Amino acid sequence: MPTYIEGIIILTCINSIAAMGVSLLTGFTGIFTLGNAAYMAIGAYTTAILTMKHNLHWLPSVILGGLLAMAIAYLIGIPTLKLMGDYFAIASIGLGETVRLIIENWEPVTRGARGFPGIDSFTTLPVALTFFIILTWITFNLIKSNYGRAFKACRDDYLAASLLGFNTAKYRILSLSISALYCGIAGGLFAGFMTFLQPTMFDLQKSTELTAVVVFGGLGSLSGTILGTTIITLIIELFRPISQYRMLIYGAALVLVMIFRPEGLMGEKEILSLIRGMGRRGEHGRPT
Amino acid sequence: MESLIQQIINGLSLGSVYALIAVGYSLVYSILLFSNFAHGGFLVTGGYICYYMLTLTNNNIWVAGALSLIGAGLSAIATERLAYKPIREKTNLTLYLLIASMGMSIVIENFWVIMAGGRFRALPPVIPTYPIRIGSITISFFDILVFLITIAFLTGLEFFLQRTRWGLAIRAAAYDLRVAGLMGVNVNKLISLVFFLAGLLAAVSGIFLSVRYTLYPQLGFITIKAFVAAVVGGLGSLRGAVIGSLILGTAEMLTAGFISSQLRDVVVFGALVVTLLFKPTGLLGKAISEKV
Repeated sequence: MPTYIEGIIILTCINSIAAMGVSLLTGFTGIFTLGNAAYMAIGAYTTAILTMKHNLHWLPSVILGGLLAMAIAYLIGIPTLKLMGDYFAIASIGLGETVRLIIENWEPVTRGARGFPGIDSFTTLPVALTFFIILTWITFNLIKSNYGRAFKACRDDYLAASLLGFNTAKYRILSLSISALYCGIAGGLFAGFMTFLQPTMFDLQKSTELTAVVVFGGLGSLSGTILGTTIITLIIELFRPISQYRMLIYGAALVLVMIFRPEGLMGEKEILSLIRGMGRRGEHGRPT
Repeated sequence: MESLIQQIINGLSLGSVYALIAVGYSLVYSILLFSNFAHGGFLVTGGYICYYMLTLTNNNIWVAGALSLIGAGLSAIATERLAYKPIREKTNLTLYLLIASMGMSIVIENFWVIMAGGRFRALPPVIPTYPIRIGSITISFFDILVFLITIAFLTGLEFFLQRTRWGLAIRAAAYDLRVAGLMGVNVNKLISLVFFLAGLLAAVSGIFLSVRYTLYPQLGFITIKAFVAAVVGGLGSLRGAVIGSLILGTAEMLTAGFISSQLRDVVVFGALVVTLLFKPTGLLGKAISEKV
């Protein structure tokens, strides 16, 4: 079993992977979601069922969980991504709650509301870090690629992007599918970390948290997302002794950030470009 | 046959509770164009004020009810002043208001967890819930009361919106808040008034829900279903919100009565997805644009 500090680092890695998925969707493609915890749930339960009932090794199980979440997101995305703005957000709440309710009521397979116990504890610190580093590297490359630019075009001006010949519907569905893949993998790792699953772990509060950390870190900044996730995970974990007040602090923090720094911690900038900017400023001796 | 009629009456009663929530939520949406997730907090605040005032006033429901409505209305104004006003003065992006409203919803819920504890509380039996028989049908007196009081409040709201100067200003602001401001409407006062009305209606539903189920800090979660009703009816349209609520309440009770009570929420969200697919703006709604 991992120690307490290791546990916090593992949890930060898992939350960051899921938040990167949401960041891709909300921060880079401009689709506001409140249901991505559902894809974590799909990944987590798939992993749990494959490892426990079918004796599959955990690695393919986690990846299959991610792929299943991705496939479901693709199917859900085709009709629902025609919706814009608040309508998709509220539809995503509905889908998220539906997935949770199905898991809760499909007792023969998911063991229902009492929870799924006794999953192998496979998510050690090296495993979580490896997944985190690989997926972060892929995401940074993805947003710099043609696909990343197409996502941003959909976000900045949906109409102009489609007039320029981008198949915006396709990119929106792709973005949702990739974000579901990330959340599914994060869910699988979460199953291996907690060794016990319950449908209420993936409720609206979890979905809200995923979107909140992305906004908190800065929409359109991947390093901001990771920084935001780290800070929020630390706040939630470190204030556990005063558990009555920690959710109050978390809620108040969200409101205060929106009032005083609505663009989030990083705005649209990445940490690396900020450091490079500082170096350049040093060379010329004056701010640029 | 009797059970069908009973379930429909149950459904209309539940639907009218949803309508009280959905109308307030829709009212705020029509002015500020964002989904106020703190709305459930107003409902819970109303419920708790009623609970504590009942113990203070020796179970006088009229005084406790009135104080609860006013208290929840004031809490809604306070929420707007503290959290939303600084943001809407700074930016036009409603996304920030949306996130702030989620923050406020967590703050209000946990405020009551700290103040009142997380346990379930039942209101003292101040509202009669005995059954009455009409022919072979048994219905709860409470269900009829809920339905009638809801109609009274919604008619009052309609009268206020259609026949008073402030009502006219609210209707104008629903078309265009900025232009209404340019025409000399005090926008901040108007938004406070709208939040007061929303909080007041939420408190009425909060009292009903505390009697129907029990009172606990997470009771506000039920507003999600009222939001769904508002979207099914068409975001920003008050009539749509009422129609959507009645449809959903009835559908929910019919599912609970004839199929499975565990599927009732799935049916609600399924109705949402189906409505959005075939009529994305809801039954009576106007189109909105992307906000990120």
